[in-house]
Amino acid sequence: MGSKKEGLIQIVGAENVLDDPGTLEAWSKDQSLAAPLSPWFVVRPKDAVQVQALVVWANETGTPLVPVSSGGPHFLGDTVPSAPEAVIVDLSGMNAILRIDPRNRMAVIEPGVTYAQFDAALAGKGLRIARPLAPRANKSVVASLLERTPTVIPRLNYNLPEPLRTCGVVWGTGEVAFTGEAGYGPKSLEDQWKRGGAQVDPKGPGATDLMRLVTGAQGSMGIVIWASVRLDVAPTVHEYTFVPGQTLEELTGFWQRLTRTRLGDEVAVLNAAQLAQLVGKDAAEVEALRQELPPWVVVVGLAGAALFPEERLAVQRKDLDAIVQACGLKRVPALPGAGQADVASVFEGCSGEPHWKIRYRGASQQVFFLSTLEKVSFLVATVQAAAEAAGIPSAEVGVYVQPQHQGVVQHVELTLPYDPANRKQASRMKAVIAGASQDAIQGGAYFSRPYGDWADMVYARDADARHLLRLAKGIVDPKNVLNPGKLCF
Amino acid sequence: MKEISRDAYRAIEDIVGPEHVTDDPALLDSYAFQWLAELVRPNLSHYMPRPWAVVMPKSTEEVAAVTKVCNKYGVKVKPISTGWYHWAAPLKDDEPTVQFDMRRMNRILEIDEKNMVAVVETGVICAQLQAEVMKRGLNINIIGAGCSTSIVASASAYFGGGPSSYFLGSNSDNLLGQEWVTPAGDVIRTGSLSSGCGWFCGEGPGPSPRAITRGSLGTRGGLGVFTKCAVKLGPWEGPPVLEPKGKPPAYRLPIPESFRVYTVGTPSFEALANIYYEIYDNAIGYIFHRQFNLAGADLAAALWLTYLDPKGTMNDVETRSKDPEVGKISDEARVSFQIILQGRSTADIELQDRILDEIIRRTGCFKVERFCEQDFAEFTNMYLQRMGHKHCNFIWVGGYMGSWMQPGTPDFVKGYVKTAIDGFERDQKSGLLVECGGDAMMGCGSTLGGGGFFALEQFVSYDPNDDDSVRACIKHMEDAIEDCKKNGIPLGKEYLYLQIGWTDERIWNDLAKMPQQFVLNFQRKIKEALDPNGLGDRNYPWIPEGWGKEKPIVTAEAGKPGKSAAAR
Repeated sequence: MGSKKEGLIQIVGAENVLDDPGTLEAWSKDQSLAAPLSPWFVVRPKDAVQVQALVVWANETGTPLVPVSSGGPHFLGDTVPSAPEAVIVDLSGMNAILRIDPRNRMAVIEPGVTYAQFDAALAGKGLRIARPLAPRANKSVVASLLERTPTVIPRLNYNLPEPLRTCGVVWGTGEVAFTGEAGYGPKSLEDQWKRGGAQVDPKGPGATDLMRLVTGAQGSMGIVIWASVRLDVAPTVHEYTFVPGQTLEELTGFWQRLTRTRLGDEVAVLNAAQLAQLVGKDAAEVEALRQELPPWVVVVGLAGAALFPEERLAVQRKDLDAIVQACGLKRVPALPGAGQADVASVFEGCSGEPHWKIRYRGASQQVFFLSTLEKVSFLVATVQAAAEAAGIPSAEVGVYVQPQHQGVVQHVELTLPYDPANRKQASRMKAVIAGASQDAIQGGAYFSRPYGDWADMVYARDADARHLLRLAKGIVDPKNVLNPGKLCF
Repeated sequence: MKEISRDAYRAIEDIVGPEHVTDDPALLDSYAFQWLAELVRPNLSHYMPRPWAVVMPKSTEEVAAVTKVCNKYGVKVKPISTGWYHWAAPLKDDEPTVQFDMRRMNRILEIDEKNMVAVVETGVICAQLQAEVMKRGLNINIIGAGCSTSIVASASAYFGGGPSSYFLGSNSDNLLGQEWVTPAGDVIRTGSLSSGCGWFCGEGPGPSPRAITRGSLGTRGGLGVFTKCAVKLGPWEGPPVLEPKGKPPAYRLPIPESFRVYTVGTPSFEALANIYYEIYDNAIGYIFHRQFNLAGADLAAALWLTYLDPKGTMNDVETRSKDPEVGKISDEARVSFQIILQGRSTADIELQDRILDEIIRRTGCFKVERFCEQDFAEFTNMYLQRMGHKHCNFIWVGGYMGSWMQPGTPDFVKGYVKTAIDGFERDQKSGLLVECGGDAMMGCGSTLGGGGFFALEQFVSYDPNDDDSVRACIKHMEDAIEDCKKNGIPLGKEYLYLQIGWTDERIWNDLAKMPQQFVLNFQRKIKEALDPNGLGDRNYPWIPEGWGKEKPIVTAEAGKPGKSAAAR
């Protein structure tokens, strides 16, 4: 252990190698149900050179590395080591915004850049980035996109990794190679910029989409040292409108028509429990809101950017009304207890503290997957039933449906809140989540991001993916030093 | 060429039936006869290497079974669905190859209107699927090569961009689940399909297995056969059936109330870039393309006005080009592009119209009046909505070679246009290429969904049946490569075309100079794993281990990945 520490100190300096019990304890677990396992060290590299040296060192010493970019709390188990002797590579200090190119609406950022930081940098330039629902302020933009966390504006989601475009990667072999368009040029961003490149095209290089090897990978293929992301023109007028319903089925046709015609910016479907957890400031407020809000609501953001913003808004309102009417629904300008500012903060801002996932009962577990439209209600009911059986009332289970890929795919996420101090309930959660997930898989849910125990469930049924991913992993990380034990590795 | 046992042919006959396999030389040569072949083949031959046999499978199972036979007997495999470019054929004379002709696998398996997903086999062409999905108020992205191309080919195995990619997404964006027979004969599925959840998602589980084959140019038939895929559909606010009018060949498509069709002229390529960025930022437009200049800026107006004239013939073009009125239109349209707007409502289309007018005003651009008149606008609408005019690519003398087309930001493209124009003008002076002006550059407004990534392709028209003209085209290609190198511009499509005629060693020597070798080594290892007998070709490119680092050893079995002396 001593020689390992010395090796790490040589790479990142003594002040950036942590092994005090408190730190290791904190990194040994997260909010998920992953089995705790303490890392041996936490290191904080300051640049790509150090990251590369760490990966080379890991290959030489057979040491697992767990790359982490975001601040806590973590919820998915991907930052908890699955193999002993691990070193957490904390990339949060690599947080430079390397370039914002307003004309091409592209930015290049390091993995430690957070949503709060990036929002502030873009605000003055009239730009924004397609973002997930109420991320933590310290959530890494790059990590969120690498993990294909759903974004809230379906019309901009031309493909699931969007707005992620290209990446600089230290692969598990220790080699540095860029993905997409950037993979063709010199291995220097500055040189590429001088030649007019803006790292726009995610495809390639060659016959390979290397970017798609690092997405959904939980840091197991390579460590991303920078990423280029597409930006959008920020709206100058923006309002939210709401279409409530008594049941999810009642609203399905409506949001399908919205996404099909690419009407509106933000489009998301929330139940009362979910919206209450998002906007309620504390447990009491969440509880009150949950009772007050309509059982289901489609939240629609209408926005006007660039030329004639007010006119754009007026046209969208008119077109929206036509669809609402055709679907036999009504839209309302506000919801009880969830005003425009509250909703805007959820869709355009970051979560307050404590994070919304733990605000209601102190802890929660999520079940999320992808689905087609017609299965959404059934799958939601399936997970709710499992929760109910475990003593978690359905009415407390948050449900969030996010149309993705311009409406082709529905991200379905259920949040099961529980009291971590209630030992009986807490001890049952692992079995509850496993059971609910199995039921959902049996019902046709696609767990495209298989964290934790989901990995075994998913890859046991998917020999093709297992085979190809292990093949790719064997090439880019032959010694399995990057986050071993995750996915099918 | 090495002898292949007749047992192999008999085994294939047993799988697909004798009527679906042939080694008749006349039929085989019909597959070897490929566009652009004369630019790379000995003696300027129009023929690529003749396949050993052509097989027309009806199912994925047949593709897999035939591929396994090929593995047993050492026959290479190369699929062709609808073809476009010479690389669809076998690449080497000394390698017996089964060419899979995929046209019998031509079923639209499913159109899921609610989820906006279509599932197709490899032989389904864009026109076929578009006609069906339009009945449901949906549309597909048709690639630049036109509506007679295979959707699976462009989504799973090639570039996938077209005039509508700006709004409807490129076919890389649109690719969902897919099914693939590897060169080893294994059937692989990707995305949600492999997890047994249907076709609707192309990503995951976890990292996306499509990562090893899709890329920017796909495998181009070099790593097995893609047999099915699903694609994302997009909104179509036009009529359920396209009902063209007008006299052939200038079919015209009436413009519905919810559409607008314009040709916009700009005073310079600088202005073109500026208006591009304005359109991009304002997120208007359904089809965004620079089409008509493929005929050359000097002759385009004369050609297209003749084309629309029911009594016009090609003989009239030269006369018409000297008409001062036509000259004025030529000047207006010299640096122009086409844009089609689609509105979801009357209010929406009227607002988009207003926004476009304001953008035009702010950027000092203008609508090309004659090209915006009803007859021409309807012709434009037909041309770009259906992409059925690909014969026009060959309109001057029967052959063309599309060079340049380096994709990038509008400012990047603007930066290479002058070099491309000057070079083409210089080489036209040989009198052996069609003299249509140096700017015969066309291209789609974006090869990525949502815009921002542009390219222009220089249409160099030559006579494929005149050896001197062919040689002049080859010289122009080599000149264009040199022009790029001199000016620090990445190499364009002419380089890809010429490579088809090169030896493996020459290609590897060039690849070894690429600044980032990682992907070439990655692809070699993928090929070693999925194609252990080397049945695929170098359209899925790779580089032998250590090549270029020290003196290499030429591998004993051409076509199989090998190691250099250093590596061994």
